[in-house]
Amino acid sequence: MLTAEYVSRQSFGRLLLGRPTDRLLLLASLLGIALSWTLVRSHVAAGAPLAEIYHGQRLLASYLLPQKGQPAVHFMAEGDIGRSEIILDEDGARIASSPCLSQRCVLSGPHRHAGDLIACVPNHILVSIRGSDDHRFDAVVE
Amino acid sequence: MHAVLRPTLAELESKAVWLALLMLAIGLHVFEAALPSLGPWFKPGLANIVTLLALLWMGPRAAVILTLSRIVVGSFFIGTLLTPTFVISLAGGLAAAIAMIFAWRILPGIGPVGVSLLGALTHMAVQFVTVESLFIRQPALYYALPPLLLLSCITGWINGALAGYIAGRLPDVAIR
Repeated sequence: MLTAEYVSRQSFGRLLLGRPTDRLLLLASLLGIALSWTLVRSHVAAGAPLAEIYHGQRLLASYLLPQKGQPAVHFMAEGDIGRSEIILDEDGARIASSPCLSQRCVLSGPHRHAGDLIACVPNHILVSIRGSDDHRFDAVVE
Repeated sequence: MHAVLRPTLAELESKAVWLALLMLAIGLHVFEAALPSLGPWFKPGLANIVTLLALLWMGPRAAVILTLSRIVVGSFFIGTLLTPTFVISLAGGLAAAIAMIFAWRILPGIGPVGVSLLGALTHMAVQFVTVESLFIRQPALYYALPPLLLLSCITGWINGALAGYIAGRLPDVAIR
């Protein structure tokens, strides 16, 4: 039901502050997000940067992301509607071509950070990035 | 002789407002589809402002029907009707509308900002669940969810304030 409070003429700045219930909801949401983000980071940030390529539940391939000067990797992933070309180079992992109509996966460009993903939903292809450059070496000895 | 049942002026006004909101929502839906993506299935949720206005002005039923109509007609215009994008959009949009209705009805003291915040978070979460359960079936998908939920918090909060601002400046539009 519409209440007078909802349509009261407040300034945008005051509306942006929200009500106490709104702020409580925001706080709870931010805490939940921070907790889940920490859990995800601890799970995916370990190890050297790695791109995992899936078709549905099936892992098709996983490659270490090339560093500067290393050759790029080209991988053709066979999906539900055709082949998606995935390129792994010094910029990260990207889908270079895909048979989908929207081409959103291609337009999303390269990704290199732990937890990043590129998905081609119509073709059921997912590229997931794990690990970070900070963990490329487990140990350095002289 | 049969009596002709003519709609009252109030009913006609209500329909006109609903149609105007639908046109606005469809326009925003198409506009958002043209925006560069900040992340998988992430949009600023501008069309959700219109759903929230429909909820505030005309009630839950009008808000749900408006959401459904906006997604169907908007998808027709952008060429995604009955594609996976449409299914994801429909699931997220309807879930967001239902979450906003429940928040608005159940949570005491909640304002447009809180309602919109819950709608935005539900929208994003349900889109991921839909993609994971219907299309990609890979739990690794959820690794990307926390940062996108954070973005949803920001856009949901701002959109709620915008809806409250508009509702406050157009009080005569309020139906019921």
